[in-house]
Amino acid sequence: MSWSKKRLAKSLWVFHVSASPCNNCDIEILDLLTPRYDVERFGIKLVGSIRHADVILLTGIVNQKVAPMVKRLYEQAPKPVFVVGVGTCPMSGACFKESYNIVPERKDVIPIDVYIPGCPPKPEAMIEAIVKLMGVLRG
Amino acid sequence: MVNKDDLLRVLGPKIRRKVEKPGRLYFEVADEDLTEVAVYLFQTMGCRLSTATAMETYHGLEVLYHFSHDATGWYYCPRVVIPDKVHPRVTSIAPVIRGAEWIEREMAEFWGITFEGHPRPERLLSKDHPQRLDKPYRFRRVS
Amino acid sequence: MTKTVVPIGPFHPLLEEAESFTLKVDGETVVDVDLDIGWLHRGHEYLSEGRTFTQAIYLVERICGICSTSHPLACVHAIEDVDHIEIPERAAYIRTLIGELERIHSHLLWLGLAGHFIGYDTVWMWAWKWREPVLQIFEQISGNRNHYGMMRVGGVARDINTDDIPGLQKALNEMESKLGMIAKAVPDDPVLKSRLKGVGILSKEAAVDFCAVGPTARASGVPIDVRKDEPKDAYGWVDFQAIVLPNGDVYDKLVLRVLETLESIKIVRQCLEKLKAPSGPILNNVKEIGIGEGIGRYEAPRGEVFHYIRTDGTNRAIRHKVRAPSYVNIPTFAASCKGIPVADALITLASVDPCYCCTERAIRIMTPDNNRLDLDLLRLSREKTERLRRNIHG
Repeated sequence: MSWSKKRLAKSLWVFHVSASPCNNCDIEILDLLTPRYDVERFGIKLVGSIRHADVILLTGIVNQKVAPMVKRLYEQAPKPVFVVGVGTCPMSGACFKESYNIVPERKDVIPIDVYIPGCPPKPEAMIEAIVKLMGVLRG
Repeated sequence: MVNKDDLLRVLGPKIRRKVEKPGRLYFEVADEDLTEVAVYLFQTMGCRLSTATAMETYHGLEVLYHFSHDATGWYYCPRVVIPDKVHPRVTSIAPVIRGAEWIEREMAEFWGITFEGHPRPERLLSKDHPQRLDKPYRFRRVS
Repeated sequence: MTKTVVPIGPFHPLLEEAESFTLKVDGETVVDVDLDIGWLHRGHEYLSEGRTFTQAIYLVERICGICSTSHPLACVHAIEDVDHIEIPERAAYIRTLIGELERIHSHLLWLGLAGHFIGYDTVWMWAWKWREPVLQIFEQISGNRNHYGMMRVGGVARDINTDDIPGLQKALNEMESKLGMIAKAVPDDPVLKSRLKGVGILSKEAAVDFCAVGPTARASGVPIDVRKDEPKDAYGWVDFQAIVLPNGDVYDKLVLRVLETLESIKIVRQCLEKLKAPSGPILNNVKEIGIGEGIGRYEAPRGEVFHYIRTDGTNRAIRHKVRAPSYVNIPTFAASCKGIPVADALITLASVDPCYCCTERAIRIMTPDNNRLDLDLLRLSREKTERLRRNIHG
């Protein structure tokens, strides 16, 4: 099915899930759409419904109140879908590791394929991650 | 303009253990006098309620209100000490100051303090939380 | 008649953070608002108690990404208030410079989002495009576009190289001419005026009763501004105006933020002039903090940020209380959302500029007999703008 993955890489539709972030990574993701970085020229666009998504961008430590929603969203997304964890928060919990409201393991809630480190990661880093993902899909 | 000296004169006998620093006045009041002090600060002096802090000291639980007098830049902070740590109760000032509603709901949720007379004593941050919360929010530790 | 409503968020493309609003709707007008928050609660006050003061500054920076310098500034003011620690003059000017640059970038961000909600996507793209020079200035000064890590107890962490200042002034001049153009075009547009005037009015009495702060209160005629009421750092030495408007509707809030951005540019210019002369220490090395309590505050782009610290003589705080301005501004929806048409609900909710670190925009709409209604608020808002535009331009 590699031809379908090559098709997928031509124009990735992205859905943004913010699960307890500080919003910095979310603003940097929106910055990608503005004239300076402009990812729409690569065919990448943000969609409003999880049913249309090819890539889920996850930001934030996932806290216990929002975890069931994130799980349900992942189940509703039509497969194949790739999950990209943006920032240090989905990677390791950043400075909130010892909080009483954090889920113990983020990968029990949603399996993450690509991690982008940084607090917040620069828009150039995010573009590089998406380019790497497209490279893997193209084989 | 009503200022600090008028406050100390009018409410003198109700004010105990006062600590004064440049721009800040911290003092202790009893629970019965809290509404009267709050009304004086909010309506007569024209202060704005900024927030309220709850903390645990060895005297008991302490609720510290912060009123900001914007015309002079001073902060007036009345505190109420609750010696009963098992079922702490304090009179609510939300009927007088609408802005105190959320502030008191958060303290009730985190510390288990009951605010008597609060119009909507529901959980604020942990409504519909997936786990059943048997202790005040703050005492749950991640093991 | 029963209809169902589907919430717009929390996970909508343009809405960060989660907060769930429930609007009670009767026909076309909003009757009541209820809020459900807690999706972003991470436990900052609990985490701050185990950390030293310098570690706590890094922690509070990450409360919010948009007002990322307001929390550290209020936090160091609180710690310095315990023992009345003075800071060197150069550090005061650098702190004010960073705070005001942040105000510019935050107001431009809001302008872009407001433009998107009413259907002016060009305003969104232009406002965010001219935000980039500000972020580049931050990167040059501190190394990061957001979360700068510049504040320390007793001063700042990094100095500004005097050779860089002419370059910064040039970037500022370029940005100012473009902002001047947006500042003239946006408030004068007849469609925007008819769309936003008289919408979502918050009266002065309601603003005082809910203890609102920041632009939400100043647009309703309440003249409070921490920079004038308790000037710290360099605010007592620079010349600027605190803007107050009387009507309290969304149009006034828009004009207020645009004018504040221009005032901030004036302050930044004055600070850069003073920083051109070299020398001076930037940090007063504080070795210990005594026992006591301290209150610190700062005028963030959204209002007054309040921090309270209680110390016991060690290098850790025993109680650290944080109150963000959106916490007191968001309950004012109960007063400003009554009786407005549903198409205006989104822009009214956005005009308070809820800091996304406490709010997600999932909006649930209910009829008085508790049935959920299906309404796309973003589409309704844009359609109303189109109708008004057709009426005006024919």
